[in-house]
Amino acid sequence: MVKTIKALGIRAPNAEFLAANVLKNPDTPGEEVRFIVSPGAEAGMEAVARKYGYKAEIAKGEKEVEVRMVPSGKTTEEIDVTGETCPGPVMIVGDKLSSLGIGERLKVKSASADTIADVSAAVTASGSLILNQGKEGDRNFIIVEKAEKKAVAAGTAALASKDRVVVAQSNGIGNAERAYATFIFSKVALSMGKKVTIFFLMDGVGIARKGNAETVKHPAFPVLSQVMDEVIKAGATVYACELSASFRGIKEADLVPGVKLAGAATFIQLLSDPGNAVVNF
Amino acid sequence: MKYESLGKELIGLLGLKGSPVAVKLAKTPADIPQGYQKMSEKHRHCQFVQDARLKGTIGYATKAEHLCRGGAAVMGIEPSPELLADGTTYQKLGNFKTVEGAIDTVSAIPKTGEQFYASVYAPLEKAEFEPDVVVIVATPRQVLRLSQAYLYATGGRFAADYSGIQSLCADAVVAVRERGVPNVTLGCNGSRKYSGIAEDEVIFGVPIKDLEKIVEALKTFKEKWG
Repeated sequence: MVKTIKALGIRAPNAEFLAANVLKNPDTPGEEVRFIVSPGAEAGMEAVARKYGYKAEIAKGEKEVEVRMVPSGKTTEEIDVTGETCPGPVMIVGDKLSSLGIGERLKVKSASADTIADVSAAVTASGSLILNQGKEGDRNFIIVEKAEKKAVAAGTAALASKDRVVVAQSNGIGNAERAYATFIFSKVALSMGKKVTIFFLMDGVGIARKGNAETVKHPAFPVLSQVMDEVIKAGATVYACELSASFRGIKEADLVPGVKLAGAATFIQLLSDPGNAVVNF
Repeated sequence: MKYESLGKELIGLLGLKGSPVAVKLAKTPADIPQGYQKMSEKHRHCQFVQDARLKGTIGYATKAEHLCRGGAAVMGIEPSPELLADGTTYQKLGNFKTVEGAIDTVSAIPKTGEQFYASVYAPLEKAEFEPDVVVIVATPRQVLRLSQAYLYATGGRFAADYSGIQSLCADAVVAVRERGVPNVTLGCNGSRKYSGIAEDEVIFGVPIKDLEKIVEALKTFKEKWG
């Protein structure tokens, strides 16, 4: 967690004295501190940082100056996702960001510019910020700062951003690629901070029948039941269409744990909600 | 009580009139200490501090009990009144020559970015909660000692900042809570006029984490300087 101190209006050298006292008496030893000061008040801050074992990173704006005090020796965490294929990079970065505090930074590198572009889209959608991007040698990189997703005014949320994803699955284990895609896309959406609902209907309900997903295994992926279990444990809501289940003689007790029966009205409601992005497999 | 000895030592070492006041911003009703009641009368935050200091009043104030909307707003207990936020009020009150000057100050007043349910008050020696901040209303000489005590262990200079408005709320509570370092403030028109901050008194706000070392330093000063 990065501590942020707004100290607007305090002029130099008082801002410098304030910064010195904050760095000398940290709430948590070695914590990173971000001062927001008025233009001109950053004078002397670099010297304060050096004196107390920090490095000052100064970003000047028209009305505010950000002075970021980073403990010396503390470097931005880096991960290199070169060689990982979709959705690996997005999920790796999503997992890493979830372990960081607000304001903390992560450098993501890859030999593939396309991978970095994909990760950038996911990071931005989750509310975090891309501070810098470029190329170092054969590696493309972005520097990400974890931020809280900004709340959108009620009533405009659905139009501003679709934060919920509905994955409709109607093909079942007969089409393994679509079955895997159901859960892999869900995992990516979850790692982007979106709420995920999976709705099994027609042949899709077969995936949720106990024992069926254990029979599907692609050489490059874990067994389907494992991927499904990971998605359920990660917080996805999973429904099986009551009518489709009944049509195939499937009862609630036949479903894998975490899957609930739901009626057509639930499905229609999910499709009708403008805040939901719907994907069909 | 957790802070009984610390509070009594502070009073004794400095010769304070009244008690240091423990102040906490409570996020939810569950954060209100057990047995604490809502304040029985509507008052300003600075008056609640004075009541805890001089009458030993213990309790909490939600939006409904806060009479000064500006004070409640900087502490995140209610949204900022528009006329205060845009500087108009303070310009009309005569604090500033221009609206631009008022805006410059108002935008720099320390305010929490969080929302809180209530502010909680108790004399420090009777506090049964972990305060965010301890507010000490004291004479300049007593505040001199407190500032010296703060600097005793590691030296440096004391940084105080205030603007003459929203003193006991923004300067003594919010700034101290958010920054994690003490502040000195001289009161404001409201706290001087309505809450009885005396002519010879100023205000020292200190994070609870620093109080023990301040008391230890005050003991050293007492031995050396009497």
